Amino acid sequence: MNIIKAIFQNYWNPYVALVLAGIFSAIYFGITGTVWAVTGEFTRLGGHVLQFFGVDISDWAYFDLVHMQGSSFSRSDGWIVWGMFIGALMMVLFSNNFKIRIPKQKRRLVQGLVGGVIAGFGARLAMGCNLAAFFTGVPQFSFHSWIFIVATGIGTYLGAKITKTKWWKGKPSLTKGSKNPSAEKNRKIQPYVGGIIVLMYIGLILFFFITGKSLLGIAAIFGAIFGILIERGQICFTSAFRDLWLTGRGVMAKAIIIAMAVSSVITLFVIVYYGMEPITQIASMGTFIGGLLFGLGIVLASSCETGMMYRLMEGQILYLVVFVGNIIGVTALAYAWDHLGAYNILVAGGSRINLTAAIGPVGAIIATLLMLLIAYIIIVICEKRYYKTYKLKNRKEDYIGTDKSAG
Amino acid sequence: MEQIKAQVDYTLDLRGESCPYPVIYSLDALKDMNKGELLQIITDCPSSFRNIPEEVVKHGYELAANPVKNGQEYLFYIWS
Repeated sequence: MNIIKAIFQNYWNPYVALVLAGIFSAIYFGITGTVWAVTGEFTRLGGHVLQFFGVDISDWAYFDLVHMQGSSFSRSDGWIVWGMFIGALMMVLFSNNFKIRIPKQKRRLVQGLVGGVIAGFGARLAMGCNLAAFFTGVPQFSFHSWIFIVATGIGTYLGAKITKTKWWKGKPSLTKGSKNPSAEKNRKIQPYVGGIIVLMYIGLILFFFITGKSLLGIAAIFGAIFGILIERGQICFTSAFRDLWLTGRGVMAKAIIIAMAVSSVITLFVIVYYGMEPITQIASMGTFIGGLLFGLGIVLASSCETGMMYRLMEGQILYLVVFVGNIIGVTALAYAWDHLGAYNILVAGGSRINLTAAIGPVGAIIATLLMLLIAYIIIVICEKRYYKTYKLKNRKEDYIGTDKSAG
Repeated sequence: MEQIKAQVDYTLDLRGESCPYPVIYSLDALKDMNKGELLQIITDCPSSFRNIPEEVVKHGYELAANPVKNGQEYLFYIWS
């Protein structure tokens, strides 16, 4: 009973969830030769929406770049996305935690839409979001992800500054005295609904394997695993950066770095042992500007493209708006790519740099681990600095260690 | 628990608010309150179930009672 409670009721330690995600993404690469990513599929979804409204996208270069073939349900990248939604939803239901959550302050919806558009646009300009240009980009030794991480850091810092302003932050409902919470329902049907979804999903996966579409079956399995992990660990790349600036919280950032280190080692093994080609994206001006916009956008929207997925499954309506914003953003970038010259101005001058090719596999892993170590140290310094300033501001009160319960 | 509830000075109703606002609002409210006053927080943002208690303690405040899970909501009691 206690194990069941620990797995389904309590959230998991973010280190555990992230390291598992890092290991599974390396295995997924080993099996399929592709990486755990979501925004590429979002771009294709945007393309399908355009097609639905009769827009001829056959000559849009970006859709050609992301291999827009078939439908979302016939692509492995598609099943990673749907699997993530379903995996997250299962865990939300098992923990009886689904609830339609509507923001009381309507400004949040505008913020979510604006942030979602900026984040979607930026992510695709940089060739991937916090996954392909970050969490799974670093272990692929694609140098563009390092540019992206630095730029995202700067972008989130700007975003955090905006978040702190009064007009953006808004006001909470603070009332005198006690207030009663919502009445609790006695009947718990959510875990049963979750069980039905699990059975149906297993059926679907079996169907894929029986009909010879094993790649889709594998993607559906891994998608669900990733969905389960991000929901149970409440993994949030936005908070990893933002909370360092806002509240001095470095837990998520540290966990991401440890997980990337583990994933890098395993991925290197896969690359060398199986002779696989790592996935390398173009490093260019576009990567930097894209990362900057992405960082700003995710903080404004309160979530990146990955965190949005499980939050939406929790019933947080805000993230429906963020999702729509993301799709609009990625589609806008697909348009700007050739129609407005974004590619020629920002990306054409760049090149694909992979550390394994540039400095050899041993050099690549040493450089990567060294860079991760530096990033880890920077986080520790940020945490320390935050608390130092905080204590200076509040020095009149000796607030630490005072026993207020006695008074 | 009833005893704690009777002592509550202010209630921060964060239902519907998403990250990072639950933590920011909680820290803001505690900062503006007088020392020794009790704050009740009602939240339904899942990430805040873990972030709020962790962050208020790290910022030097003290939980007056164990967090209470109430369906899809959480209740926190914190001394300013």
